[in-house]
Amino acid sequence: MQKLSGLIPEKTPFGLALKQCLPLVLLACLLGWTLNYPLLKESFGSGLRIEIQKKQLADLKAKAEQISPDIRFIDLVSAKKLFDERQAIFLDARSPKENAEGSISGSIGISLMSLVKREVDIEKVVPDRSAIIVTYCSGGECDVGVEMAKELVNRGYVNVFVLGEGYPGWSDAGYPVFKRKGGTAS
Amino acid sequence: MKLLHNEYLQLSIRLILGGLFLYAGVGKITTPLDFAASVYNYKLLPDELIGPVATAIPWIEALSGFCLLMGLHTKGGALAISGLLAVFIAILIISAARGLDVECGCFSGVERRVGFLAIFEDLVMLAGALFILSFDRVKLTPYAFLIGRNKS
Repeated sequence: MQKLSGLIPEKTPFGLALKQCLPLVLLACLLGWTLNYPLLKESFGSGLRIEIQKKQLADLKAKAEQISPDIRFIDLVSAKKLFDERQAIFLDARSPKENAEGSISGSIGISLMSLVKREVDIEKVVPDRSAIIVTYCSGGECDVGVEMAKELVNRGYVNVFVLGEGYPGWSDAGYPVFKRKGGTAS
Repeated sequence: MKLLHNEYLQLSIRLILGGLFLYAGVGKITTPLDFAASVYNYKLLPDELIGPVATAIPWIEALSGFCLLMGLHTKGGALAISGLLAVFIAILIISAARGLDVECGCFSGVERRVGFLAIFEDLVMLAGALFILSFDRVKLTPYAFLIGRNKS
């Protein structure tokens, strides 16, 4: 550190600031990395990402519980089962731009805004109020899927589920997606 | 111009900025996974770097904030804060341009989405940090008060 400090000219105000700043940043990094070693270790595998996704899903469920106790969640495997058996209607609550970049195959893109503003007549799109509907958005802390589920429940739909993992979770699992921009479906 | 050299103004800016950064840093240190999630949400870093970045930044914020608050290594603390803020502003602008609608992760327990307000707040704090770097002569400090003398 002495050698390093000697390389920085202290005569200018910036030189003095830099000379004080470097040890401070170094100490901060050492403290942060030492005290959070398990988290740091998880980061080098895929453990931290999984941990974060789990936490975000739990937070989303807690938020949904506060919004309405009638909102139910569905996990990826169960959603895929409904998808394979063609038993559910998947609604993409994200913006049209996000929908165009990729969506769950066969899902209907109806942004939350267009539903709330009644630009889309959902009763025409899904006339059967007992149909199984799965709403989704971008996963993580995205809550428009939950908001859409709430709106649908308020309009009398009784089998509404939220796919908390959203499109990224579905896509990461290798399930069928549709991408409009490249014109490819997989 | 005379106002810029006012010792009480300099002390006030140091205390406000130092307090804010100490608060922000400690909040993130106590909830490391929350801050890691905020870093992850920006989708700018590879997974391997999320941990190292998310665990180092809060400590840089807290230590720099403490330095400013006490008047110890003030210029170094102000430079570290300026650097962090410059990076935060760039990230916020990039994320806003990408249309990303996520929590900014600026302060623990404060809900603030990525957008104009978060960028504006960071710009104001950056102005404060640059003011300390350029004009602050660090004459009045809590540290000097505690040990019973004023720096000159």
